[in-house]
Amino acid sequence: MLTDKITPMERARALAKGETVDRLPCNPNVANGVARVYGCKISEFNTSARTIANAQIASYRRFGYDGVRIFTDLFPWAEAMGAEVSFPDDNTANMAKPAIADISEIFNLQPADPYKDGRLPIHIEAMKYLIDELGDEVGCAGGIVGPFTNAFFLLGTETLIKLMFKNKEAVHRACEVSLETCIRYAQAIIDQGLTPTISEPLSSCTVVSPAHFREFGAPYIKRLVEYINSKGKPVTMHICGKTAKIWEDIVDMGIAGFSVDNVVDLKKCAEQIGDRVKILGHVDPSAILYSGTPADVRRAVVECVQQAWDAPKGYVIMSGCSLPVETPLENIEAMMDAAREIGYPVNPEKLEKMLSV
Amino acid sequence: MSDLKKHLLKGLSDSVVNMDESKTIEIAHEFIKNSFNAYEAIDQGLADGMEIAGRLYEEEEYYIPELMMCSDAMYAGLDILKPHLSKNKSGNKHKVVIGVVEGDTHDIGKNLVKIMLETAGFEVVDLGRDVPPVKFIETAKEIGAEIIALSTLMTTTMENMEKVMQMLKDEKNETIKVMVGGGCISPGFANKIGAYYSGDASKAVKLAKSLVAEAVVC
Repeated sequence: MLTDKITPMERARALAKGETVDRLPCNPNVANGVARVYGCKISEFNTSARTIANAQIASYRRFGYDGVRIFTDLFPWAEAMGAEVSFPDDNTANMAKPAIADISEIFNLQPADPYKDGRLPIHIEAMKYLIDELGDEVGCAGGIVGPFTNAFFLLGTETLIKLMFKNKEAVHRACEVSLETCIRYAQAIIDQGLTPTISEPLSSCTVVSPAHFREFGAPYIKRLVEYINSKGKPVTMHICGKTAKIWEDIVDMGIAGFSVDNVVDLKKCAEQIGDRVKILGHVDPSAILYSGTPADVRRAVVECVQQAWDAPKGYVIMSGCSLPVETPLENIEAMMDAAREIGYPVNPEKLEKMLSV
Repeated sequence: MSDLKKHLLKGLSDSVVNMDESKTIEIAHEFIKNSFNAYEAIDQGLADGMEIAGRLYEEEEYYIPELMMCSDAMYAGLDILKPHLSKNKSGNKHKVVIGVVEGDTHDIGKNLVKIMLETAGFEVVDLGRDVPPVKFIETAKEIGAEIIALSTLMTTTMENMEKVMQMLKDEKNETIKVMVGGGCISPGFANKIGAYYSGDASKAVKLAKSLVAEAVVC
């Protein structure tokens, strides 16, 4: 594996000033796969802040990527508000039961206290360890599931979908209380000195229509983004699946970066909104990083860079979504090495040459 | 075909497409009251509506929530019509075991595939979500299914699809075909694990039909 000459933090600062650096930032988005690097069970993340932080740190040290994040699964916020989550011994947590069984209980839903409820205090504690140990050299983030997606987990996916047609007020009520939890948690992240990132998988056009997104998702997500921005923090958002029809809505929220799924046309995305937000993406986490060879990974990274390197607000090489837990470590290395080989400033002719070898 | 019957079939199809559950029920009752054949109402009314809805989904006019509402309307109509079906109408049905693999609880996609397969004449055993790999194989053998259909939305659970394939391979079972689909599944991944890929619910039906047709030829 190649090595870097400067830290991710130095790289980010230099890029922000328009100075030259060694390479583009690259974040493979390792997620719970850090357990494989550190050598612990994923279920240990449910009870030990130290283990979450240690695993994140171990994985960062091994690969040298440009961003670490405390984020174990989609459900800690819904769980903190009363949903039931199941915890496999050595895999990512699953939703077991929504927070309320019947819509008549909707007024029982209360925003979570990040310092008290569910696993949230563990995550906040892990953030402290992370920023203490890595804060000087790499950007540290706390992940939040956005208010719309979280509302699905509060009411149950099918229930919420039906309510979008039959009882709009109930959906708004769930999103509102969900937003309050998100805002409190965002504040907790900021208080630890980290930067919030938002994941909004169910906002995707692969799931709901742009019309439903605009009616029930966007207003609440926008308020979360505005809150974070008002505290002086930029925020990056990831939405899985198709998003082309809602790109302008996403940009209008005031986010600083948009992390795009591999099903999206990266070039088109960079061309359309790259003048207003940083573009992050989108090496295929399943077909390439999980199932492919290091050579496949190298090629895919080059192809992504070709499509988006010149986006005016900047570009970060990233996977299209969190990596599967068992993604081969040599593929993650290959992703980092491809970024190092490409170097900086990006030279389109060199990219062409890399593809022909 | 009488004009009234044509009109009612069109009404059933339209009300499914328009996600109108009560209208679907109303027309289904009227259809039965006129002693028309319930099978036709399902085949040329409800299923036709679902097919149009599926097309609208492919064209990105409809999304998963709209499809779910359509399927609710379809199921409501089905409840009225089913008791009036004459027995053994479609002979021996091909059997499919379907479920969401262990580690994932997203089942909208799976439910759609199930509905589409049922309306296309398959007998579908639904194991639900978060299903352990071995359960798929046990059930398939128990009921003599020719197809196992696996769904997942989350990349974190793809290994469990591989496990199902490995188990079939280990016991040299070549009679059961496996089809996979879901948000994170690519044709490349399906190919790698030796399964058949389908990109969405209506393609899943075409794939299932071709798989059982193949089985007959062999």
